[in-house]
Amino acid sequence: MAHSDQGDGATRDDLLQRVALMETMIAEGRRTTTRYGWMFLMWGLLYFVGMGWTMLLPMPNLAWPVCISVGIAVVIVKSWQKRAGATENLRSRSVEAVWEGMGIAAVLFTVGGVLSGHGGQPIFMAAILCMVGMAHGISALILRWGMQGVAAAVWWGCGVAACFATTPKEMVGLFLTASFFGMVLFGLYAMVLERRHAAAPVQHHA
Amino acid sequence: MPELPELDPVIHGKLRLAVLSLLTGVEKADFAWLKEKTGSTDGNLGAQMLKLEEAGYVAMEKRFAGRKPQTLYRMTPSGRKALAAYVAALKTLLGGAL
Repeated sequence: MAHSDQGDGATRDDLLQRVALMETMIAEGRRTTTRYGWMFLMWGLLYFVGMGWTMLLPMPNLAWPVCISVGIAVVIVKSWQKRAGATENLRSRSVEAVWEGMGIAAVLFTVGGVLSGHGGQPIFMAAILCMVGMAHGISALILRWGMQGVAAAVWWGCGVAACFATTPKEMVGLFLTASFFGMVLFGLYAMVLERRHAAAPVQHHA
Repeated sequence: MPELPELDPVIHGKLRLAVLSLLTGVEKADFAWLKEKTGSTDGNLGAQMLKLEEAGYVAMEKRFAGRKPQTLYRMTPSGRKALAAYVAALKTLLGGAL
């Protein structure tokens, strides 16, 4: 044990190294638990595909069921893969729970809206936009991440604007605006940050 | 002059200290993740994890993720207590350096 000789500079250095090691590892353990940028990008692109299919391609009724099913399948496969080599912490589980809850609510709300014939109303679109904004907002508060707060504000802003929409074209425009800034661009930004973090030097003290 | 505190030898090992520090930020971590973060080898990490387990500082859980076997570790309450005591002892030893 190297603790009793405090007059020895090497021993003191050794203890200071231990402190530095602990700080590095604690920070490393906390920072490497969440990588979701690709998911925002994927959902944003799927929203564009869904909307484009609905407007331009045959069998528009299949557009959203197919796009949402593809998204859910990818998320399930990825979360299964994550289980095979990752960590669990309360923060990442909380963020996942928020998005899963929002996803379930949005799907049920959409199915209900479509079946009841209210799906095309501005208030319906506004509710969907605000739901996504809420998930972004809660996630931003949990992670204390200002940029995600901005993404939430984009969704909420478009949600409020959708309440005043008078034509389907305006509603589609607001949805695509929110998807582009609040999902595609935000996802790309998150991926760049994650890549930077992954590339940052990590001290290995084996 | 007050007596200097003893540092827990189980925690003081660099790799064991690194692992315990990593585990403070997560609920559970699998062996491969710990290996990657510490840059250690299978054999060395396995041996150190066994020591931590024997001391009661970490608990191991084996499960299957699909068909893949997975070994998960989490820090126990006594591991947290021991690490806190280790940090307190370090502070005392280093005095104003922290």
